[in-house]
Amino acid sequence: MAHTFFGGVFPATRKESTRRKPLAQLSQPPREVAIPLLMCSDGPSVPVVRPGDPVSLGQVIARRGDCGVAIHASVSGRVTAIQDRPHPWGGSSPAILIENDGQNTPCPQRPQPVEAQNVELPLLLERVQAAGIVGMRGEAAPTWEKLARAAGRVDTLIVNVAECEPYVTADYRLLLERSEKILLGASVVARCLGAQRAVIVTEGDKLRAVESLERRLLRRGHSVQLCTVRTRYPLGAEKQIIQTVTGREVPPGGSALDASCVVLNVATLYAVQDALFRGRPLTHRAVTVTGGAVTRPRNLWVPIGTPLRILLESAGGLREEADLMLTGGPMMGVALEELDAPVIKDTNSLICLTAGERKPGGSGTTCIRCGKCVSCCPMHLAPVFVRQALEAGDRERLAKYRVEDCISCGCCSFICPAQLPLVETMIWARAALEEGGDRL
Amino acid sequence: MSSCSPTRLPPQLRQPSTTSAMMLDVLIALLPTLGMAVFFFGLRALAVTAVSVAACILSESLYRRLTHQSDTTRDLSACVTGLLLGLSLPASSPYWVPILAGAFAIIVVKQFYGGLGKNFMNPALAGRMLAATLPTLMTNWPAPFQRLSLVGVDVVSAATPLSYLQDGTLPPQSLSQLFLGQRGGCLGEVSSFMLLAGFVYLLARRVVPLRISAAYLGTAALVALLFHPQGSNPLIWVAYQLLGGGLLLGALFFANDPTTTPVTPRGQVAFGVGCGLLTMLLRYHSSYPEGVGWAILTMNCLVWLLDRLGLPRRFGVGNFATTRAFLGQVRASLAQIQFVKPDLRRHFDWIKSGKMPGEDHLDQIRAQARALIPFALTLLVTGAMIFSVHQLTDLDTARARTQQQQQLLSQVMPAASIASETPYRASGALSITAGYTHAGELVGYCVEVQSHGFGGVITMVVGVDLNGEVTGVAVTNHSETSTVGTRAMTPEALRRYVGLSGTIRTSGRNSVDAVSGATATSEAITAGVNRALAIIANLDPEEDISYVEE
Repeated sequence: MAHTFFGGVFPATRKESTRRKPLAQLSQPPREVAIPLLMCSDGPSVPVVRPGDPVSLGQVIARRGDCGVAIHASVSGRVTAIQDRPHPWGGSSPAILIENDGQNTPCPQRPQPVEAQNVELPLLLERVQAAGIVGMRGEAAPTWEKLARAAGRVDTLIVNVAECEPYVTADYRLLLERSEKILLGASVVARCLGAQRAVIVTEGDKLRAVESLERRLLRRGHSVQLCTVRTRYPLGAEKQIIQTVTGREVPPGGSALDASCVVLNVATLYAVQDALFRGRPLTHRAVTVTGGAVTRPRNLWVPIGTPLRILLESAGGLREEADLMLTGGPMMGVALEELDAPVIKDTNSLICLTAGERKPGGSGTTCIRCGKCVSCCPMHLAPVFVRQALEAGDRERLAKYRVEDCISCGCCSFICPAQLPLVETMIWARAALEEGGDRL
Repeated sequence: MSSCSPTRLPPQLRQPSTTSAMMLDVLIALLPTLGMAVFFFGLRALAVTAVSVAACILSESLYRRLTHQSDTTRDLSACVTGLLLGLSLPASSPYWVPILAGAFAIIVVKQFYGGLGKNFMNPALAGRMLAATLPTLMTNWPAPFQRLSLVGVDVVSAATPLSYLQDGTLPPQSLSQLFLGQRGGCLGEVSSFMLLAGFVYLLARRVVPLRISAAYLGTAALVALLFHPQGSNPLIWVAYQLLGGGLLLGALFFANDPTTTPVTPRGQVAFGVGCGLLTMLLRYHSSYPEGVGWAILTMNCLVWLLDRLGLPRRFGVGNFATTRAFLGQVRASLAQIQFVKPDLRRHFDWIKSGKMPGEDHLDQIRAQARALIPFALTLLVTGAMIFSVHQLTDLDTARARTQQQQQLLSQVMPAASIASETPYRASGALSITAGYTHAGELVGYCVEVQSHGFGGVITMVVGVDLNGEVTGVAVTNHSETSTVGTRAMTPEALRRYVGLSGTIRTSGRNSVDAVSGATATSEAITAGVNRALAIIANLDPEEDISYVEE
């Protein structure tokens, strides 16, 4: 690959325990699912069902109001209540509780599947919006908005399979097992958006999926390109993956569109093609349940709204005491206080770390100015100076260090030999700058 | 489930390395070098290093305790300082040297500035360079395989390869000997091989970046390649420059101290380049053969600047745009500097006013003149000082004088090449100088005599060999008429005296004919030569030095 991004770190990937585990159903379906109304970064959706209503699989239970996306029932059964439930992003949010009847009765008003050659942009946008698809890793923004903005303005569609977070293998399994559909979806979406090329970006530790993709590409002659990059965190970050594929840098404060690219996660793309070619809304997703404390780490295909506890039970429970449980991957993920929170559309993993796997945080020792945080920052920042300026209370100097560019990837905190909380420092610095005032 | 710790911001993983682990890695990387030093210089090498490490740890512990701060010896940084300091000393150094240097390094250079991470100078190197300022300590380098006893050192000093390199010649050691460390030098610098092995370990463990060392060594090599002495193989010269001194120890370990080097990648490269340039500058053009230590210390003082200049460009803004923005910023800053014209009008007021200078104006001038007195005095004193310094240390004049003497010697005594003043005195001789060959053999004496010529005193130097024969005559000062008198002073005329001895007459046997038209001058020169011959004939160097009072 001709292009690369600056910095990055090489955490131990630790994907061996789930790499070979196919996406499996839950050992027993959840008796009750709790589908939070807060599904995307916009804000909560508006429920359209009331307690007591019977629902079928794929039926719309919440729609987009001023914000939010459409939400569908992931099991069939009966709505029991709409009440506050813990949310995996922290805190709690109102959720629609559905009692599962175990029948999985499909919804009668499903949109008709379409042929790939008949898909045009309006249809694509309509189906994506109706299926309630959001970015399924990281930002969780509504996908149809992203596609609508990107239409006609991009030349490259990047399918992000760079699952650079350690432990997580959900995207890898999805790519390996459903590669045909993903290739088809990529070529259709790229055609609709007017992008000249579609690139699937994978990493060097996903060679089996790469092989299977290459075989298919050879046989079919798809217009999709495949790009395999050495595993390095944070390759999966949007700006870094654009830089890796095209060599373009997203300007400060800009979005992927400014670099004429649109980046879709592979799970998102799979959901898009599911909505197009099978008429199915986003009701299930792949989740990796792993970590040293899990008895049988595995990849699961779970209904959205399933409590994380059920996932853990399906993986055999804990075999030793978990020091930390989190969703979303250990580098950028959110630590969970308890497992009552359900799976939502952007939950890609449940990781239970033992004390040995996890490095204790602590308050850190003295900075020895080793400069590792500078040389690993993919956004060309200098956390060490930000920290100095923040400690000195020097606003003017702080403003020079471009704190607003930080993507909170956590490379600096990861690499810091003094164990300093540099990501937090960056966040504080940003807050201090936004707050204004003479003293910090 | 309740065992989960409270929510903490990401990342939840950390790389396993900590500060003390990094320091431990540095210690491990230096162990082979220490082993090689013990192999070459005996157990004393180990003892010096141990004393140094102990001094550093004790200093740190004591200082922290006395100032009521937390004990920081556990982060091993004092240990690393001690080890580096020990390795940069010669094996023959007395034990008080590492103690003094270690205490200075830890207390003054490191702790006074706030401890680990706050000091601006490399403590070990600062301690080492303090020791280097002690007379004779850093010029005595024990030879390898000269195992030193633990107490009481009797050093046979070996010339380091660098002292040869400074003279522009290649040292006697072969390159492979240098590579393995069979040469004189301080403990750590001798074995290039072990230093490289340690550095490779550090690189593999990602403790240090490659940039600084690569930029440093690359710059030094490039400078050596560009300025190699005439007639030597440039690549061989470069290899000797790289392996010959403390360059590897400095570039691989001292210049990689994280605290005292820039944190930004570009700053690190600039730091390395600056170190390389300064090192080669000092090696070529200073009175010390080695310049690594001073170069790194100097660059340490520039780290704040390099950090500022080396800040990575903003993501999403190209190099070109960044450079343009930077130049624009510089232009804006420069535009703020305004040139204020000096106000000279005041001094010419009285010319313009058109009035005759009155008494009050004279007063004003007097006052101004009085104000100038301190300035004039300062000027005078400074001028006098510069003049006296110039007189005392005027190398050009001294060099010209030496050259003149050398020329005179070659004229009056071609066989001799070295002139040496003698304590002999004789009446009529202004000075008597002995002439020696290169091998140190006495050739004869040069006598400076005077005689009266036509126009005044003629001062000349006459060379007389040990057989009492004239080897040459040179006139150094005269006041004869330039048209006639100087005819007797041409080289041909003076050459006629060569080989004569005894008393030279103006006619007959053993004579030199007077040059026609310059008889008086010729006779005066002959008389002077005769006097010189007489003085040398009466001179008895075998005797006790004969001080003949005039």
